[in-house]
Amino acid sequence: MKKGVTITNHNYVFLFYDIADEFSEKGKYRVAKVFKICKKYLKHHQKSIFRGNITPSNQLTLEKELKKVIDKDLDFITIIKVLNSGSFEEMTIGTQKKETESIFI
Amino acid sequence: MAKNHTRYIFSMGELKRKDNSIAFINEKGNFYIPIEDTREIYCINEVSFNTKFLDFVAKAGITIHFFNYHGNYSGSFYPKDYLVSGTLTIKQSIVFIENRLNIAKNIVKTIAANIYEVLYHYYRHDKKELKPVLDWLKNDADKFISKDITIEQLLFIEGQIWNRFYDSFQYFLPEDFVMNKRVKRPPDNPINALVSFGNTLLYTKTISSIYHTHLNQSISFLHSPGEGRFSLSLDLSEVFKPVIVFKTIFDLVGRKQLQVQKHFDKNLNYALLNEDGKKIFINAFEERINETFMHPKLKRKVSLKHCIKLDGYKLIKHIVEGREFVPFSLKDKM
Repeated sequence: MKKGVTITNHNYVFLFYDIADEFSEKGKYRVAKVFKICKKYLKHHQKSIFRGNITPSNQLTLEKELKKVIDKDLDFITIIKVLNSGSFEEMTIGTQKKETESIFI
Repeated sequence: MAKNHTRYIFSMGELKRKDNSIAFINEKGNFYIPIEDTREIYCINEVSFNTKFLDFVAKAGITIHFFNYHGNYSGSFYPKDYLVSGTLTIKQSIVFIENRLNIAKNIVKTIAANIYEVLYHYYRHDKKELKPVLDWLKNDADKFISKDITIEQLLFIEGQIWNRFYDSFQYFLPEDFVMNKRVKRPPDNPINALVSFGNTLLYTKTISSIYHTHLNQSISFLHSPGEGRFSLSLDLSEVFKPVIVFKTIFDLVGRKQLQVQKHFDKNLNYALLNEDGKKIFINAFEERINETFMHPKLKRKVSLKHCIKLDGYKLIKHIVEGREFVPFSLKDKM
């Protein structure tokens, strides 16, 4: 590693995806594929939003897997990386049917 | 530290492998458990699954612990050992034959030291009645252990230490929770129920930690090995009991977060935690075990859970290199 370069480890992410499923049959398959990949690593929060703790190495594999599946010209995925689950504040409006972050099921 | 490596299943349903991940299905719908972010699953309620699921979970190295209707520990699904070392097992047995007493002595010494630390907190906060117990722990217990004694005598001293600890509860716990006598299998009053439940949780956590080391779970030093359970786990969890289990209990009881009327099963003479009580306890327990602090030797933050594993490593160091085995002490934080 170069001197003076610090690498920050991000251990918590939010992932949003928009898959272009309206234009073609193929798009629908891609939605399912992206969903399958995400649920391996993260917790399902809202329809197209995942969130949760993740290790930096798992983050890279997740990115790699997603890149294989999506259509780069049509689809849109955002990953917001934060340091840990303590580094943001959260508020909710309305009802949340499932508490995905809870350690109890 | 990421807290959510553990999932506790409190509702009835089915665990399934679904698209290379885990799904928990009940009448409320599907609930996805990320496979890469899970280390342990606790099944507190009725859960069904098939071998396909077990095979998948085994590959990911996830341990599953099962509890019966009464909240007693019934066993663990323990994936095939991936860290197997014949040499270490042989050496572990040799150390057991040649040096068992020393390791056991160190464990008992640390139990006394950790209990001392925990009680001292109350002594400092005006519970002066604790003075005799503290003095006994600090001077007499140590003196006895340092003498030339047999393993049976050592176990007797260990029993003494715990008994005196239990007796001291009357000075700082509310009346509902005073322990007259430690009763196990089954516990017969609230505090015994809490202690049993907490110890079980810690025992399972230790099993999962030792799973990720090369140690052989069945060769133990303080407890006699080979009683149909993973006795090394009992050994290693012993010094953490005052630090993790009892501090959690004292906190919850002292702050009135757990109350006899509200959180225990009335029909069973308040000798069993109800679901709410279990959830409160588990939450506090998880928080404590994942709490991080600066490790003086490693110079980075570690959690108590990791310290259990570090104790496993220390034991390996002792077995292989002969370095003295000093278990986790609350005072030194290492």
